[in-house]
Amino acid sequence: MAEEVLIEKWPGTVSSVTIGALKNEGGSRSAIIKVGGQKTLPFLFKEGQIPNKPVVAFEIWDISPDDWHPELIKEYGTSLKDPVVWAEKCVNDHKAELLCIKLQGAHPDFGNKTAKEEAGLISQLLKKVSVPLIIYGCGDNEKDNEILPACSEAAKGEKCLIGDAVQENYKTLTAAVLADGHNIIAESPIDINIAKQLNILISDMGLSLERIVINPTIGALGYGLEYAYSIMERARLAALSGDKTLACPFICFIGQEAWRAKETKVEESQQGIIWEQVTAIALLEAGADILVMRHPKAIEKINSHIQELFGS
Amino acid sequence: MDKFKVTFYPDNKSVEVIKDTSILSAAISAGIYLKSSCGGDGVCGQCKVILKKGKVLSQPTGRLNPEERQRGMHLACLCEIQSDIEVDVPEESKLDFNKLSPQELELRLKGIFSEPEDVEAGVPGLKEPVFTHSPLAQKLYLELPPPNLEDKVSDLERLHRQIRRALNKPLMPNITSSNLANIRILSELLRDSEWKITVTIGQRTDANEILAIQPQDTSSKNFGFCFDIGTTTLSGQLVDLKTKKILGTKAAYNKQASFGSDVITRIIYAREQDGLEKLHHAVVDEMNEMIRELVAENNIDLNDVNCITCAGNTTMIHLLLRIDPTYIRREPYVPTANFIPVVKAAEAGLKINPHGILSLAPGVSSYVGGDITAGILSCGMDKEEELCMLIDIGTNGEIALGNKEFLVTCAASAGPAFEGSGVTCGMRAAKGAIQKAKINPKDFSVEFSTIGGSLPIGICGSGYIDLISEMLKTGLIDKSGKIKIELPGLVRNTESGKEFLVVEKSRSANQAEIVITEDDIENIKRAKAAIYSAAAVLVRHMGFGFHDLKKIFIAGGFGTFLDMKKAIRIGLLPDLERNRFIFVGNSSLAGARSMLLSIDAFTESEKIAQMMTYLELSVEPTYMDEYIAALFFPHTDLNRFPSLKL
Repeated sequence: MAEEVLIEKWPGTVSSVTIGALKNEGGSRSAIIKVGGQKTLPFLFKEGQIPNKPVVAFEIWDISPDDWHPELIKEYGTSLKDPVVWAEKCVNDHKAELLCIKLQGAHPDFGNKTAKEEAGLISQLLKKVSVPLIIYGCGDNEKDNEILPACSEAAKGEKCLIGDAVQENYKTLTAAVLADGHNIIAESPIDINIAKQLNILISDMGLSLERIVINPTIGALGYGLEYAYSIMERARLAALSGDKTLACPFICFIGQEAWRAKETKVEESQQGIIWEQVTAIALLEAGADILVMRHPKAIEKINSHIQELFGS
Repeated sequence: MDKFKVTFYPDNKSVEVIKDTSILSAAISAGIYLKSSCGGDGVCGQCKVILKKGKVLSQPTGRLNPEERQRGMHLACLCEIQSDIEVDVPEESKLDFNKLSPQELELRLKGIFSEPEDVEAGVPGLKEPVFTHSPLAQKLYLELPPPNLEDKVSDLERLHRQIRRALNKPLMPNITSSNLANIRILSELLRDSEWKITVTIGQRTDANEILAIQPQDTSSKNFGFCFDIGTTTLSGQLVDLKTKKILGTKAAYNKQASFGSDVITRIIYAREQDGLEKLHHAVVDEMNEMIRELVAENNIDLNDVNCITCAGNTTMIHLLLRIDPTYIRREPYVPTANFIPVVKAAEAGLKINPHGILSLAPGVSSYVGGDITAGILSCGMDKEEELCMLIDIGTNGEIALGNKEFLVTCAASAGPAFEGSGVTCGMRAAKGAIQKAKINPKDFSVEFSTIGGSLPIGICGSGYIDLISEMLKTGLIDKSGKIKIELPGLVRNTESGKEFLVVEKSRSANQAEIVITEDDIENIKRAKAAIYSAAAVLVRHMGFGFHDLKKIFIAGGFGTFLDMKKAIRIGLLPDLERNRFIFVGNSSLAGARSMLLSIDAFTESEKIAQMMTYLELSVEPTYMDEYIAALFFPHTDLNRFPSLKL
């Protein structure tokens, strides 16, 4: 006798976040990206709708990432010297659908670029590439509070995804995102309670929960992956059970974490590419909606993996 | 060994100490109590003194600013004495040991002790268990039939026989060697008083003991004391054991604070040379002082005080009895004793009738002491059909859950923020403390009332609860407790974050601004999270939800001024109908008094301690998660506070 598979029905839905605005929507993008909207756990197509595929964003920097692994530097070559060229390369050569520009150069220890410079870069990027954009700060709260509002303004109407807002520093960015019609990344340190608290704080300022993407903070394979996995799983279960304050898509910074692993540091090694893939695949199963990755080969593999999962 | 003379000004007190003694130790020997919440580790920076003359070896510290150094300031705990020295003790470094004023006292004990009749009738809102009047020390006036040739029973047996008849229950003839003195004088005394005598009987759960024999009828003069020995405050009451009347109440700060503000620091200090002795004396001396004063005020002979009952946490009881508390803080956290049998008060250094007895409320574990047993006894939780909870909001918050079927407790270390310690302008609930506050949502001005109605000095626990609740309500702070509005003049940026001006200089008693900082809010948030999460874990551990609780007793020094609605708004207490909450104030003292007046109550307290199980939160896997979730106003899970939605 055939075994009957128990179908689970969830009362909650993950909110659907749109990144990018088309010309007729007040932006200038040629396509937009939708993430979230699931009514079930990852890839359980029989149990509920999964309207949007997870998407990979190429991570690019505003300065040349000199400490990146030779494998990555070899791959991108001289384009690394110019973020606009780099962005174009991702879109043209690697068919990037989404870009994540990390403004590392604004960090006081990495060049201390001004808000004006960074805003100028964002305008440039929006002019030269037509895919939607994620704008990611340098991680220094004080500096981010200067540059991100300027970048937000420069990208007004383009419905970018901008981050990170953290519990100690979310007000300035939230206000900017609210004013300029973007979405926000809310970062919490692998802690479901803080993730929820931050979402409440942001939505208390008037930014709707449908415009928040959670950065749960992750660890790569062997470096705390399982903690990230279980926190994401718990948050997603809560969301599907009806907790709206946790029903936001996840963004996972896979590349940044994977290439930090000791195993990837060996010269002329392909380990990093594998590390990126394995970490990404695991976190896709945990519910990741946006994967920020570095190596084109790893990204290609993950894209085809996603295609396979969706049966196309 | 070199000895040096240390003189402290302005008190002009001198003491001789050996070389390398710290100024802090010298001060304690001289009877000068300095603030020192770290117990002399050089961490808290409170024991500032000015060296006027002489030489010391002082360790470097970052706790003094250049200006203070210039003035010759040192931290007393970090200075080793190298010659005869003279030291100035600034007022702010002294522990404030003045007895509480009657006004403060009244406020502190309000609710249950203001009217002694109320106590007899019970705490409002609950059926206080009524115990038979049968004090732990009882006086019996006896007229013995003189012996004759037909009735040749010995004097002592004659006495026992008469007592047995009077008590109407069998007497254990355990007249111990300590009472040999009584036997020696017996024959003479009986004949001199023409066989009319008064015996004082000490009662234990399973035994009676002759404490004293006096000629003639003195049975109307029988008094006792009950004490609540808190980590910060000592409260004591003189009770007429015959009429059950409370003759007077006193409270004073626990001088042990000089050796550290929390029990752990004091346990560590007890290991130092003479440490245990000093801790013991700090509490016993204060109790003797209270006894002496109350006895004098009521014109009572000290010899007519026959009994003392004490309720306190396990560490406090150990220190009172000069028992080494070391193993309380070492795994697996075992105290010397939870049930301490009745002892002679004199053995503990308490000065009442030399034969008088001392009974201690039985404890449960190292961190759940007799104070909580006494608390449960006084609110009658162990007799309730319905599920109840007792929350004692103190530095060591204690929580008990149960009814007549079962009792479980746990301890949540909330820290001293609610007692006004560790917060910028915090103070204990005393005169001049802001206890109620309201913030105008239009201009964010603060309306407040202080204890005693005087000019404000600082903010006490209930004041903080009110202020934070109002700050949330008016949108001045976000749910994480960060100030989110720019208000020129009222909200200011400092190095350690923002602060909100509550009272400007000109309106305060000390011409000093009263502010609440983001760090203060953070401290209160942690304290409330510790208490709420402990309660939540305890309730869930037993398979219940908060809604199953029919009565919640709130105890603690500031409980009487606690605004329930506001305590719920900040998430200190679960969101239940306000009428389920019952204030019990100092339930520990009330329980100690019940025990003093009735052996049945005492026996009951032993039963309570025995039936209580202890849940160790540190090994409870869900506790940390609950705690983090509670670090939000009111809580990360807003569904738990439905009445606060919108």
